[in-house]
Amino acid sequence: MKRTRLKLTHGLIAAFLGLMACEPELSCEGNWCGTAIMASSAEPEALLPPLAAYDVDLALGDLLFWKLADVGPESNTFGDDGFVPKLAEAWDFEDPTTIRFQINPQARWHDGTLVTAHDVAFTYEVYTDPAVGFSGRSRLASIASVTARDSLTAIFVFSRHYPEQFFDAVYHMRILPHHLLGDVSHGELISHPFARSPVGNGPFRFVRWNAGEMIELAGDSTFFAGRPGFRRIVWRFVPDPIAIVSQLIAGEADYLSYIPGIENITRVAEHEDLRIEQYDVGVYNFMGFNMRDPEDTSRPHPLFASRDLRRAISMGVDREALTQAVLGEYGRPLVGPVTQSLWVWTDDVDQISFDSAGARQLLSELGWSDPDGDDVLDHGDRRLSFEVIVPASSALRRRTAVILQDQLKQLGVEMTINELEPTVWNTHAMSGEFDAYLQSLAHDASPGSVAEAWTSTGIGGFNAVAYSNPRFDQLVDEATTTFDRDTARTRWKQALNVINADVPAVWLFTPIGVAGVHDRIENVTMPWDEYWKSIWTWRVARDQVITRDLIASN
Amino acid sequence: MTRFLAVRLLQGAAIVLLVVTLTFVLIRLAPGDPFQRMVEGSPASPQLIAQVRERAGLHLPIHQQYVRYVANVARGDLGDSFSERRPVWDAIRERIPATFVLAFTALLIDFVLGISTGAAQGAHPRSRTDDALTTATLTLYSIPVFWLGVVLMLLFSLNLGWFPIEGSKSSIGYDQLSILGRILDRLHHLILPALTLGLVGAAGTARYQRAAMLDAIRQNFVRSARAKGLTERVVIFRHALRNSLLPTITLFGLSFPILLSGSVLVETVFGWPGLGRFVVEAIENRDYPVVTGSAIVTATVVVLGNLLADVLYWVADPRTRPETWSEG
Repeated sequence: MKRTRLKLTHGLIAAFLGLMACEPELSCEGNWCGTAIMASSAEPEALLPPLAAYDVDLALGDLLFWKLADVGPESNTFGDDGFVPKLAEAWDFEDPTTIRFQINPQARWHDGTLVTAHDVAFTYEVYTDPAVGFSGRSRLASIASVTARDSLTAIFVFSRHYPEQFFDAVYHMRILPHHLLGDVSHGELISHPFARSPVGNGPFRFVRWNAGEMIELAGDSTFFAGRPGFRRIVWRFVPDPIAIVSQLIAGEADYLSYIPGIENITRVAEHEDLRIEQYDVGVYNFMGFNMRDPEDTSRPHPLFASRDLRRAISMGVDREALTQAVLGEYGRPLVGPVTQSLWVWTDDVDQISFDSAGARQLLSELGWSDPDGDDVLDHGDRRLSFEVIVPASSALRRRTAVILQDQLKQLGVEMTINELEPTVWNTHAMSGEFDAYLQSLAHDASPGSVAEAWTSTGIGGFNAVAYSNPRFDQLVDEATTTFDRDTARTRWKQALNVINADVPAVWLFTPIGVAGVHDRIENVTMPWDEYWKSIWTWRVARDQVITRDLIASN
Repeated sequence: MTRFLAVRLLQGAAIVLLVVTLTFVLIRLAPGDPFQRMVEGSPASPQLIAQVRERAGLHLPIHQQYVRYVANVARGDLGDSFSERRPVWDAIRERIPATFVLAFTALLIDFVLGISTGAAQGAHPRSRTDDALTTATLTLYSIPVFWLGVVLMLLFSLNLGWFPIEGSKSSIGYDQLSILGRILDRLHHLILPALTLGLVGAAGTARYQRAAMLDAIRQNFVRSARAKGLTERVVIFRHALRNSLLPTITLFGLSFPILLSGSVLVETVFGWPGLGRFVVEAIENRDYPVVTGSAIVTATVVVLGNLLADVLYWVADPRTRPETWSEG
């Protein structure tokens, strides 16, 4: 009995000591104590900037690796007006096709090594090597060479003179360390340990990656461009939409870049410690009509080869009602394949308005009628019926498809919905095996990315519907090569009128990003082209510091 | 016994090979190309796709791919993940401990709770307690595991704040904790996911155990024990329960595949960094080496689990040992 009591006492003492030891050391002073926990539904596959494809990859990549310079708040991509220095402290055009960059001598890799022009030349080699697989390689096609004149001077030589030379030189590439990766074969870079444990040059340094769970970054207190606002950022990966929103509401996360669903936005907005931040995302949604027969892509599509039929279908879609139904106040109808964020945007373009009577009239003129009374129009032996493919992973596009189906049914158009796994959907989209597809495309700060998706050169790539109109191609070419911004605007407007008249797609809506942010986080700005790029300047308000902020870093 | 174990291990190896073969073929027959991506508008060029397909050996006929794969596996090489671009074993090795911890804790909850509930019901059949527990276990058994997870998370994490919503350990400060502190922190994170997975299993085990108990208490040895004047407690625990556990051991072996498949859903709801979630993502991305490599690992675990169940059965009931078979 005595022995049992002694064991119990020892056990209690051990448990007490254990619990006492459960509190980690708390220490931090000053303005930089904040620890931000960012919730993300996706996890990066690697932390190698040339292979970043998703928002989370790009966001983490931009905190670890900086560009030479970046577009400024006005989002100008012409010349170098408004661009802000990053790793490059200065630059000038030596001649129309040569840009000289002066690397900031204070810039350092996180292992203490200087950032040099050799790193810049090496980065260009990596990004342009097909073995690496950088998806935007075509955007670097006009750069003939990048060399190091001396350790801090990088020279970009272009094969032609065009307005967005500077943009292409600085926007797409995050500078990589030559001294760490120079000996690695480019094709092996992605499987190199560096890709999961990188040494960067940005405001945050890599600390650790627990696969399937979290990535931790630490603010670099000696960062040459200024001390980051947070001393630590933890990215937590939560695939379940209910759990990710609950994490924010429970105070376990400080930030969620995209709140899924209107009901969750309301939940977050109503919470006293949280706020929502709206931001433009440069994404537009549309239903694209395949111009080719999915059975034999060398032939025109049996239905959608007819521009008038595409036009009639577009007239039958009430985009205002659809946008309201799927996004509420967090979306805007589109005027064409551009969002309001782009400087070429204008609503002064020819648009196809909702006109169901006009659509019926047009269909009737095209010979479509319903002699058998089955509520689906026929033309001889052909029914006005087609299939739209939708990625099953996208709740937004699934919902959009259902509403479109209902709206088109009123016209006598039968649209069947085929929800496919994302990988299968990709395969069908890329190989042209579809009648129509629901797509959500993103564009960066340059209208050039719009051109990539809709000109003939994009066929086989972004231009999955194989839309081709030489007039459109010519106008886009003129818009992207003129050095006069007003002329460029005029050409873009003309190009939009051409593509809108051709109706390769029903332009649906552009969503507005809605982030959930804890009130303790201040200085939050979210630039539309890369909403994450100012995260390094966010901070925790000094009077809102909580225990987790004070826990010492490793 | 040794010979029999060796035979069972060989049979197990054959089963694993069969599972690998089926997985290898089925994942390749599924539509969708692992390298053809167009997510939010970033398509890979046809040249690049052809290049990476060749590098991965996908340009070869499927039978050649298979022979090459099996030869590599025999050398201990599970290949490289298409998405993570690193050895599959490295990726699996990082995640498998989390899945095992979750599955074994759930198994513990399943059997401790299930056996005790079923035994209590079987000892007092048709009592109010039995009726109430029957309703409770049947209800619990009918609940989808992911739904139960969400409900428990919303109740105990979001509303009551007793447990963290997701993850296997604290993101911040974990490394500064003492060993005991780390264990407690991990337990704190483990309770809800393990309960979710364990409770549903326990409901099934309880039904099974109740039937086994009812069967046992009708046996002559229980009547004899009562006739000897032993207390009801001794009769139930020492005689009826002990004997009724034998059929339940069979459940132990059958639980492995159920737990591993159930952990996929629980890992997703609770952001648990395990193998299940990883495999689901690999299937979605058509990451063939990860899917096949994971099939090898899980099939091996299931085979070994079943072998362990057999051994436990032999220990519990020496009459079932292989060396006694010829006597029968």
